[in-house]
Amino acid sequence: MIRFFLLSIMLVSNSIFSILEIEILKGSDNLSKIAFVPFGIEDGVEEDYGEQISQNIEKNMLLFGEFENLDKNEMLSYPSSEDDFFYRDWKVLGVDYSVIGRVNSVNALGNLNISYSLFNINRRIKILEGEIVGGEDNIEDISKIISNRIYEQITGLRGIFDTKLAYVINSDVDTYQICISDIDGKNEQILFTSKSPIMSPDWSPDRKKIAYVSFENGLAEIFIQDLKSGDRDSIQALGMTNSAPVWSPDGKSLALVVSFSGNPDIFLYSISNKRLIRLTNHYGIDTEPSWSPDSKKIIFTSDRSGSPQLYEINTKSKRKKRLTRDGNYNARGRYFPDGKSIFFVHGNDGNFQIAIKKLSSRYIETLTSTSLDESPTISPNGNIIIYATKDGSNGYLGGITLDGKARFSLPVKNGSVREPAWSPLIN
Amino acid sequence: MRRLFMEPIGIFILAMLCQVYSCASNVSDSVERIQYASVAGEEYLQGDKLDTNLDDKVYFDFDKSTLDAEDKNLLEQYLPAIKKAKIVRLEGHCDERGTREYNLALGERRALEVRDFLVVKGVSGKKIRVVSFGEEKPLKSASNEKAWAENRRVEISLY
Repeated sequence: MIRFFLLSIMLVSNSIFSILEIEILKGSDNLSKIAFVPFGIEDGVEEDYGEQISQNIEKNMLLFGEFENLDKNEMLSYPSSEDDFFYRDWKVLGVDYSVIGRVNSVNALGNLNISYSLFNINRRIKILEGEIVGGEDNIEDISKIISNRIYEQITGLRGIFDTKLAYVINSDVDTYQICISDIDGKNEQILFTSKSPIMSPDWSPDRKKIAYVSFENGLAEIFIQDLKSGDRDSIQALGMTNSAPVWSPDGKSLALVVSFSGNPDIFLYSISNKRLIRLTNHYGIDTEPSWSPDSKKIIFTSDRSGSPQLYEINTKSKRKKRLTRDGNYNARGRYFPDGKSIFFVHGNDGNFQIAIKKLSSRYIETLTSTSLDESPTISPNGNIIIYATKDGSNGYLGGITLDGKARFSLPVKNGSVREPAWSPLIN
Repeated sequence: MRRLFMEPIGIFILAMLCQVYSCASNVSDSVERIQYASVAGEEYLQGDKLDTNLDDKVYFDFDKSTLDAEDKNLLEQYLPAIKKAKIVRLEGHCDERGTREYNLALGERRALEVRDFLVVKGVSGKKIRVVSFGEEKPLKSASNEKAWAENRRVEISLY
């Protein structure tokens, strides 16, 4: 049995409503059906908690269109322990998995003990059980942890319900904001508001800082902002343009682009000694660096062949390799978490779409069908890509799951949202 | 491992380009007061924006930074005013297609192409300031060929 004590680390939110909300456009090709049974409650526990937790878990699991649920009103029974659980009640309703649980009071201080079980109906076995102790104030976080466990058990992938998203909002002509929120759009925080453009947010691996580009002083400048204190530091690279910062996997340096005299090249910037090391040196445009998960290579965009294409460079040997050849626009590449594939923006007949490619193959697979898609970011488990796109003059975020090809969108209520950046997992 | 150290040209251009711009509150119709401040915040000077009766933009093809005959012709007409100005500000822009960071670099390329043309024509490079906004500040927000063509531009302002 897993026992888990939750520390109450709640972020204070600047805004009370969420700007982003996920809308499922198309579910996975092979949807599994899950029954989320309202959790039972012990005498003395506030009645709502049982239903709240199962509803939170349900919302999380359905977030990206990967599963369908069984309506509560169709359930034949509401078991809260294994003794009351009968597989046939769920089999007849075409359910693939059932989640049950129980909320017990630990003490008068508001601590709860929440036990939960997951059953595979087709195989007629319990595949997961666990227990969490936490405060009443942490129901949302507790639900996320349980959701992660269930997701991991069913899909074999890491759960991502406690990850976050950073993005840039342009609410009117000269208001730019960099924001972060939970992955479901809740608990939005505005990190910085400016009258000048903000670009390229990127999370530090420990999720404590965000690097981004701001034009507040009239030119493109890189800032690192601490999320807890709100402190902002310019890294003072002092080129004509300083941009495209991305954290190394160990968090000790940034790969970034500096154009000293009008020739953008890739540099490594050490955060501790503030020194720049040149990585590329070419008269063409070199930009949009991103690290391989093992830190050994950096993928980047270069127009050295006459059109933007993706290359990778070994940070030690400086050996370069061209990665894309098909099409006249392949840019802003990122590695998958396993390092074996890349995703990027692929220009094709005047359309700009999100594409993926295995490093071992030449074949480019286009994932999206709108025409102005950019800034793709991948979930830490490598299964979901969120990207920016446009409808009329409003920018919104789109999403796709790679295994089931579910599609969803994150429309913004006011203005345009762009440049999503998925946070790492907390470890 | 090669360590970056600013080449002399880098230092020279850096010194020039450290100047940054921010609008002061005092703005009238024909004269825009602007303030220059260095990134380090050491140096401040003020100037008036000069009015010319010429189109203040040159336009580019998609993913290109080369000047065509029409652009060069416009810049030629501009030359007398440019030579009189204390500061020439060149602001490079792109359309929304393609990626943001690549467009930031492309906007810079476009502004530099104009700078190089002016320098060849005898304008002192010292008074030219170059900045790129990539695709971040479109003139037209629509997503069609006409809007894109207007957004792929270098704006020239004289002070």
